[in-house]
Amino acid sequence: MRFSGAPRLSFPPALGLALGLALLSLAPKLQAQSQDDCLACHSDPELKRANETSLFLNQERYADSSHGQAGLSCLDCHAGLRGVRDFPHAEKLKKVACASCHEKPASEASLSIHGRTASDKKEPLPGCPDCHGSHDIRPARDFESMTSPINLPQTCGRCHLEKVKNGRGGEFIRQYEQSIHFRAIKKSGLTLSASCSTCHGSHAIQAVGSSQSLVSRKNIIRACGQCHVGIEKDYLEGVHGKDYLKGIKDVPVCTDCHSEHAILQAQDPNSRVYVTRVAEVCARCHDNLSIARQYGMSASRLKSFSDSYHGTALKFGETRVANCSSCHGFHDIRAASDPKSTINPANLPQTCGRCHAGAGKNFARGKIHSIQDETVTAKYRSSYVIKRIYLILITVILSTLVLFIAADLFRRAVARKRHG
Amino acid sequence: MDKSLFITDDEIFERMNLAERIQHLVLIVTFLLLVLTGLPLFFYEFKLFRWLIPSEAAFQVRGIIHRLAAVGLLGVVVWHIGTTLFTRRGRRNFKELRPRFKDFRDALELFGHNLGLTRFLEGKGLFRKFFKKHPYWLFERPPLFGRYNFIEKFEYWAVAWGSLVMILTGFFMWQVELSLRLFPLWVHDIFVVIHGYEAILAFLSIIIWHMYSVHFNSEVFPMSKIWLNGRISGHELRTLHPLEYQAIHLERERAQARAKAGQVMNPYENAKN
Repeated sequence: MRFSGAPRLSFPPALGLALGLALLSLAPKLQAQSQDDCLACHSDPELKRANETSLFLNQERYADSSHGQAGLSCLDCHAGLRGVRDFPHAEKLKKVACASCHEKPASEASLSIHGRTASDKKEPLPGCPDCHGSHDIRPARDFESMTSPINLPQTCGRCHLEKVKNGRGGEFIRQYEQSIHFRAIKKSGLTLSASCSTCHGSHAIQAVGSSQSLVSRKNIIRACGQCHVGIEKDYLEGVHGKDYLKGIKDVPVCTDCHSEHAILQAQDPNSRVYVTRVAEVCARCHDNLSIARQYGMSASRLKSFSDSYHGTALKFGETRVANCSSCHGFHDIRAASDPKSTINPANLPQTCGRCHAGAGKNFARGKIHSIQDETVTAKYRSSYVIKRIYLILITVILSTLVLFIAADLFRRAVARKRHG
Repeated sequence: MDKSLFITDDEIFERMNLAERIQHLVLIVTFLLLVLTGLPLFFYEFKLFRWLIPSEAAFQVRGIIHRLAAVGLLGVVVWHIGTTLFTRRGRRNFKELRPRFKDFRDALELFGHNLGLTRFLEGKGLFRKFFKKHPYWLFERPPLFGRYNFIEKFEYWAVAWGSLVMILTGFFMWQVELSLRLFPLWVHDIFVVIHGYEAILAFLSIIIWHMYSVHFNSEVFPMSKIWLNGRISGHELRTLHPLEYQAIHLERERAQARAKAGQVMNPYENAKN
């Protein structure tokens, strides 16, 4: 596949790696070297450095690459060879300076986590060719490009799966291969789906912990919103989104519910937000006493839900019953006091009616999450009173029965001792 | 109880007739099915039940079995009410099953007798005056039971009450839309709570009380066979249900007296009894 036209600057800059070589052993001294002069040696597939690495230039591949298409010649990049007359030339040459043409990406990259100025890490940092290749640099739209969404995970993975251990390790990164984003690219060829750079950025990539990172808490909503526009809008209108905009730290962002690399479709049984599993996700905050206290929310939402038929049935994998989002919605969850909320008492008949045909006002006369709580109307708590009465009754009756049996066994034991 | 001249120890009496035995059998099956398919909802964290109901399909089958068994239970309850109302035997049994003051006294006496605490105290010379004046509290002899002792009556009424409660609340849980058309949600919540806790009560009572009475009790161990053949011997009647034994004795005694007085018209009359 070839793309004609000059390489655009907006392409990820890529420059040939300093092919640290150039041995033109046979060449006579010439005034100005032409492409042919270089190829006189470098077209030999057997040509190798002292350390056995190849010095062969595949002309066909180069001609097909962005730079080849643009008609760049060897010396345009390998500027260190300009004016060199002695061949074979020295093995170490001046490094190719991609920045001389690709100024903006190069300066972004130098300030990124990958750039030397921004990082004090000891690991070897990637240069342009590590991501873009050298002689066969291709635009990201080219299927064979190292930076094509199809190939990018592999490109990044060369370092990030093993060599570079970040906080959560290679396994965490490898989870991406199971994700809906990766499958969309790999299986369906949907290159609009998220690849590494879609979320993390490319040249200006920052550490995830940095506030400048595209996937930091501060930016993640926008990162996902690049593609999931309608969902970003819904989210920002709901309680979570509103609190997010207020800068509240505990409010969930996209990744808190959907996970990061392992993100799956909600319909996938392994998804964290699958109908039978979503309650556990919500419960991380809504069944957490300290969070509930801090933000004045009702606690024990999971416990009270699991005790209901809906919750219990879900635990056994029954998918037809209501889960958290069936009643509360998901991205645009609203407080019950909001007239637009699906769980506003005025809207409950409609919400419940989606499953319970003919649901009327009685559905709102009680507490779905029935817990004993001073804030709940007395009669709505009556099932708790009944429960307590039953517990007392069960205790009393069963202890009585056990006492009778114990007394009977005792009498028999005594009789056996006496008579037998 | 002294031996009757009219009842031999190996005479066989019918304690449960065929209809009653079938009712009991259906009750066992439906009760077990209901417990097995219902308890998992109560103890949803319990691993065994997760293993028992491993999939969504299994869970749905669970629901179907539970409802079928409920219909079976309802059927046996209706049948039992029918035989109780419309057969002579049923009415007589029912009369015997009515709770009386004697049952409470029997419970106290049996417990006091088995414990033997008061006899122990008396043996140690304590409260001698009191016990001399009120020997009742020594509980020297266990109480004498009729056709149904207080334990059996308690079980009968527990099943009756339990079935009523479970069928009513279960019906409204099954027909939740109907329930919420008639009652507010907080009332429906009460149904749900009652259904669960009544089930626990019934299940534990049966496991503890009934299993002891009819299986592990050394008098019947390993199992009383009455529920299978319906038969009870004269000896068992005399030791376990002495008042019924006495009643049969008196009845026969009177019948014989009548026969003697009025000349025996039918020489086979006694044999028939």
